[in-house]
Amino acid sequence: MTGPLIQLTGVTKILKGQEEPRTILDGVDLTVDPGQSVAIVGRSGSGKSTLLSILGLFDRPDQGSYVLAGQDISRLPERKAAKLRSSHFGFVFQRFFLLKHLTAAQNVAMALVNGQGWLPRRQRRTRVLEALDQVGIAHLAKNRPARMSGGEQQRVAIARALVRDPRVLLADEPTGALDTETGTAVIDALLSATTRGCSLVLVTHDRDHAARMGRTMNLVDGVLTERVPA
Amino acid sequence: MRRLSGSYRSALIIGIQGIRARKLRTLLSMVSLFLGVLAVVVVQAGASIAERALMSDLELRSGYDGTLMIDVMPHEKSPQIVTETLDGRTDALAVISLQAIIGEPGVSPINPGGSPFDQTGWGSTEVCDDAGNCVPGPPTGEAIEVALTAVTGDLLKFRPLRHVSGNWLDFSTVPSLSPRLVINKEAAKGFESHQVPAEMRVRGATANMTPQIVGVIDDGDVQPRAYVRQDELTNWVPAGKLSDPNMGMPIQVLTGQGGPVEQILTTKLRAAGIESYANLIESRKQMEDQLKLMRLVFLSMAGLVLLIGVAGILNVGLATVGERVEEFALRRAVGTPRMLLAGIVLAETLLTGLLTAGAAIGAGVAGLKVLSMLLGSSEPLLRDVQFPWEAGVAGIIAGIIAGVLGGFIPALRAAGIPIATVMRA
Repeated sequence: MTGPLIQLTGVTKILKGQEEPRTILDGVDLTVDPGQSVAIVGRSGSGKSTLLSILGLFDRPDQGSYVLAGQDISRLPERKAAKLRSSHFGFVFQRFFLLKHLTAAQNVAMALVNGQGWLPRRQRRTRVLEALDQVGIAHLAKNRPARMSGGEQQRVAIARALVRDPRVLLADEPTGALDTETGTAVIDALLSATTRGCSLVLVTHDRDHAARMGRTMNLVDGVLTERVPA
Repeated sequence: MRRLSGSYRSALIIGIQGIRARKLRTLLSMVSLFLGVLAVVVVQAGASIAERALMSDLELRSGYDGTLMIDVMPHEKSPQIVTETLDGRTDALAVISLQAIIGEPGVSPINPGGSPFDQTGWGSTEVCDDAGNCVPGPPTGEAIEVALTAVTGDLLKFRPLRHVSGNWLDFSTVPSLSPRLVINKEAAKGFESHQVPAEMRVRGATANMTPQIVGVIDDGDVQPRAYVRQDELTNWVPAGKLSDPNMGMPIQVLTGQGGPVEQILTTKLRAAGIESYANLIESRKQMEDQLKLMRLVFLSMAGLVLLIGVAGILNVGLATVGERVEEFALRRAVGTPRMLLAGIVLAETLLTGLLTAGAAIGAGVAGLKVLSMLLGSSEPLLRDVQFPWEAGVAGIIAGIIAGVLGGFIPALRAAGIPIATVMRA
């Protein structure tokens, strides 16, 4: 496929609360090519997470269009959106959101046991171990989250995001709860996915991590601008 | 077998994981539901056992369900027509009712009228002629009066008479001149407590007979009764005397419904001017009408107890969903459809309901076994009683209903959890 994988045009999101409506995203344009890594930086409350929610089909834009791989998905019904989330997206959050009663392997398998198609147990196991191996923690497959460090838990979360071979990885402050060294290792793991053609959109406060991405976008009061390297 | 779809299998796997992760909560839900399901199992088991016992008693007294009973009115030709029609047939038999006194000749029986031995005042010792003129009878002596039932074939095909001791009437042998009798338990009681000579008087007989008692059965009758082969009786009582047109009982013909006997017999009887009435034995229908209301009342009470259990599951389910908001939001983020989230919660409550049903059925089986062991000897209803499968089915249905009802609202809540929860956390 040629052309951009993600194309947002004039995306606007307005928060309609009890007070005056507040514009969270104001005519955002964003293009992400296959295999490209993009960092989105900005202050707290600038709309980064809202932008990621729209990219990940958690939310819909009030105005503007969202084209994914040539298909307009701005107004996708929830059932189709769920299917697309499963097939095209992988998510990594600041908090790892691992289920403490499941092992690392079972947490990763969660993305495969989601009602979107069915994989036999043996194939599931192979895919899970491959994903854990990609992030270097296949040996921890049988461990529960309580017995793992923060970095290891985040790697499990990344393996969960990668296990379905997504076309886009969306990461929301994935290093926010980690020390610098562990955070760097996590970014390494995320970037390694881009070498296999997966695009990465990273929301971060950390300038060093942002600098490692192919592009950096700045979001200020709902307006997205490209930051040109100095 | 068709395999479950991916969604069902996913719901089942995640449901089992959820139950394993929250064992205590599942146990508490099961405890709250247990009494309700157990109540349903007990009511259903009780109703089924009572129904079986009642059915068994009804069949014992009146015959197997579906048997056609033709009452042939007393007439001097009735025995002959019936005997000729049924000759050589195995699909029908005739039952002729008479009275017999066994014991000392020329005395009145100790139980006039063939009354039960612990009851008096059934009949009188007066002796009456065919015109109905009665005179005081002879003094009471060592003789027992029984209801005598002459049968033309194997009655066990139509009535489940219960063997007590000895043998049943053998129709494969040549008719004996000494009529073989099979007596019921009440008659056996009389013969046990009274030593009587083996001489049998039957009205209309050419001479007194010497009977031989070959067995004892339980026929559910409170009256002392003896069963005899009709051909052994007719060695001594002319066929025409078997049915007294003035005082005799109707001859009963038992046959299967829709068989040829009914048509042939009724045609012949009509031609001879003899009335007959056919009745189909429908014990189950009659009994179900009686039991319906009782079962409804008890099941309603059990349903109320079950409803309390459902409230327990509902309560625990809502609390659990409240605790798992992030998990469900995360599952939605990785592509799990809302319907499947609802399915996961329903699978958990359904499994809880089924586990509870299993426990309640197990308790029911064990309880019945213990009851049978403790009270079986004094209470025939509980002797060697088997756990009715209907109670098991009712328990499983109750478990499923409780699971669905208790899980429905939590499932809706789970399906409505906003996906953005994971972003805001």
